[in-house]
Amino acid sequence: MYWTFVRGAMRLRARRLLLAFSALAVAAALATALFSIYSDVERRVRSEFSSYGANLIIASPAAVPLSAVTLARNAGAVAAPFLFTTGTLSGQPVVLAGADLEAARELTRFWRIEGSRQGCLAGVNLAQRFHLTLGTLAELREAPCRITGIVSTGAAEDNELVLPFDAVAKLTGITGSASMVQVRAPGERLEEIRAQLARAYPQTSVRIVQAVAETETSVVRKIRVVLFLLLALILVITTMSVTSNFSELVMERSREIGILKAIGAAERKIASLFVAETVLLALASALAGYVAGIVLAGYIGRQVFAVPFSLHVQPFVLLLATAITLAVALSSTALAGVSIWRIQPARILRGE
Amino acid sequence: MFLRFVAESLRRSPRRKAMTVLAIAMGTAVATAMLGVMLDIGDKMNLELRSLGANILVTPKAPAASLPEAQIPKLKTIFWQLNLTGFMPSLTEVAEVGGSPVPVRGVWFDREYRTPDGRVLRTGARVVNPSWRITGLWPLKPHECLAGAAVASRLNLKPGSTATLFGEPFRVTGVLQTGAEEDDQILTELADLQRLTGHSGQVDSIQVAALTKPEDEFARKDPARMTSQELERWNCTNYVRSITHQIEEVLPQSTARPVWRVADSEGRVLSKIGGLMLLIAVAALVAAALTVWSVVATTMLERRGEIAIMQATGATDRMIASLFGAEIAVEGLLGGALGVLAGLRMAHWVGGTVFRTGIEIPSILAPLSIFLAMAIALAGAYPPLRKSLLRAPAIALRERI
Repeated sequence: MYWTFVRGAMRLRARRLLLAFSALAVAAALATALFSIYSDVERRVRSEFSSYGANLIIASPAAVPLSAVTLARNAGAVAAPFLFTTGTLSGQPVVLAGADLEAARELTRFWRIEGSRQGCLAGVNLAQRFHLTLGTLAELREAPCRITGIVSTGAAEDNELVLPFDAVAKLTGITGSASMVQVRAPGERLEEIRAQLARAYPQTSVRIVQAVAETETSVVRKIRVVLFLLLALILVITTMSVTSNFSELVMERSREIGILKAIGAAERKIASLFVAETVLLALASALAGYVAGIVLAGYIGRQVFAVPFSLHVQPFVLLLATAITLAVALSSTALAGVSIWRIQPARILRGE
Repeated sequence: MFLRFVAESLRRSPRRKAMTVLAIAMGTAVATAMLGVMLDIGDKMNLELRSLGANILVTPKAPAASLPEAQIPKLKTIFWQLNLTGFMPSLTEVAEVGGSPVPVRGVWFDREYRTPDGRVLRTGARVVNPSWRITGLWPLKPHECLAGAAVASRLNLKPGSTATLFGEPFRVTGVLQTGAEEDDQILTELADLQRLTGHSGQVDSIQVAALTKPEDEFARKDPARMTSQELERWNCTNYVRSITHQIEEVLPQSTARPVWRVADSEGRVLSKIGGLMLLIAVAALVAAALTVWSVVATTMLERRGEIAIMQATGATDRMIASLFGAEIAVEGLLGGALGVLAGLRMAHWVGGTVFRTGIEIPSILAPLSIFLAMAIALAGAYPPLRKSLLRAPAIALRERI
């Protein structure tokens, strides 16, 4: 009997319910999309910051063993060794940096290189000072080389001559160690990897590059707070519109409610009819909204972060979106349902 | 007569009217707040990203030369001067400390300076590098210094201990840990180092922090090969390279270069955040519009009876439509205005909570939001109104009773 009422109400008021359904579904879709982005944004933003280069530096007054590179790579980080010495170029002292730029590609993405990454690269200031261009011979006393690239970073490299790591190692006679190892660790495991490296090489100092580590964290936090506030605002207006819709619904059915009351139905029982209807409606909207939401999140991921379109089905997000839709729908019903108690059957039946 | 009808209708059933106005106001408020935050979030994030440090490095053009300290305030005469959030001149010399060579860097820690047009502003290391973490205190007086973390542990320096630099005692007020080159340096006030090394009035580099627009295809073009129109557009956009170009013009013996490590990552992050927020804003605006639409549509459905009575008593469709149109427009205007007021407050609140500063909102946003509120309300009222007008009044009236 009870369910006959519920089914009947849903069938007869289909158009009116459609409005409430679409409002709830839009809310569920936005909630799903925002939650999906919320859980994904940290990984995405951190990967954008990878163009900053290293976030961990292993340095030492003496030398850093090359095994540190292997250790860092095994821990899931990108790592590359750098070796520094001084040389004499056209009679003047210059800094020679040894680096394997192919292996260190991930760490040197911000380097602006004109020419090739391999071979003998001149910093842009150094090139200007010694009139070096692509193809000219750098008169390095230790090992003359032909310039294959001009590098510009806005940092120390602009005044250096960058040679392959092995070439500098041969010049210095150092084997098996570097002056410095640069590491790019995944942001969320930064501290763990730092501790691991510091334990393995106590004679070196393993430093976190504070500027990038802090900026990453603060940007991620800010984006999340903004997303969260947006979500709250959206839910408030959805509750609002669903409430107005439901109170109209109750008004419209005041005759039926009056009749039910006259034949002896308790207000609670009548209210529970509405609640059952709302729950069914909310569950349906949550499901529809969830599907729309993950499509939206996939689209945003492709448009903004250029990752291939994919649908992330996270049960956690589905649960959350359903809970939110139910909460919005039930609070709307509660706000609208108060008037059930106020309806007087005698007046309704008289036709007022 | 017409006006009296509208006024009467607004006066009767005030509760329902209030609900409609409130719903329109809520929708408008969310839309306004959202747009306000979105339009400003790029600038806010740009400021946030300044914690990466300086994105421009100015050095002398000739090797082993120096730049005159007195010329530095001229930076504040370039076209994009308001986008320069700070700068830090420095001079580095090697001192013998505890038997080993240590680079000593003289900088402006926190300095007031006078711009060429007479304003007094603050800048220095604290402004340019907000991410610097110090155990202890910043130096405030001459003969005070900061020790980099690596130097401090090697020479056993702590806040309060004394280091001898170039024959004079300096009190260490704090230990600085950045993870970058500063960890291996001792930092003093620039004037102290200039005096002790006989380089008075000279600096060897200036770090500049600027708010820039992420590089796009156009930004990478070579300014030497642009037409004069293109060059003007390029100069009037705050690309990092147009700012370095302008710095080189006001400081003739200098080379200004973007610090690509910083400039690249902030460009990437900024453009991604901009895109993300734009798409979310569009989605939320659609939700707000749907809300206003559905509320207005619902109330119109409710008033089918009224329309039928008017039709039965001889009102033309045009009269009824203009009557309801005027009423909805008034509600839209009122709701829109209330919503804009609330929305602006919300935007400021979001700005204050998230970014600790107010949000700057273009003044066009307020009239635009009100107009949109009215337009959406009218659009929401149209389909049910049209439907009611097309129906025979007798049917509607019988249904009502």
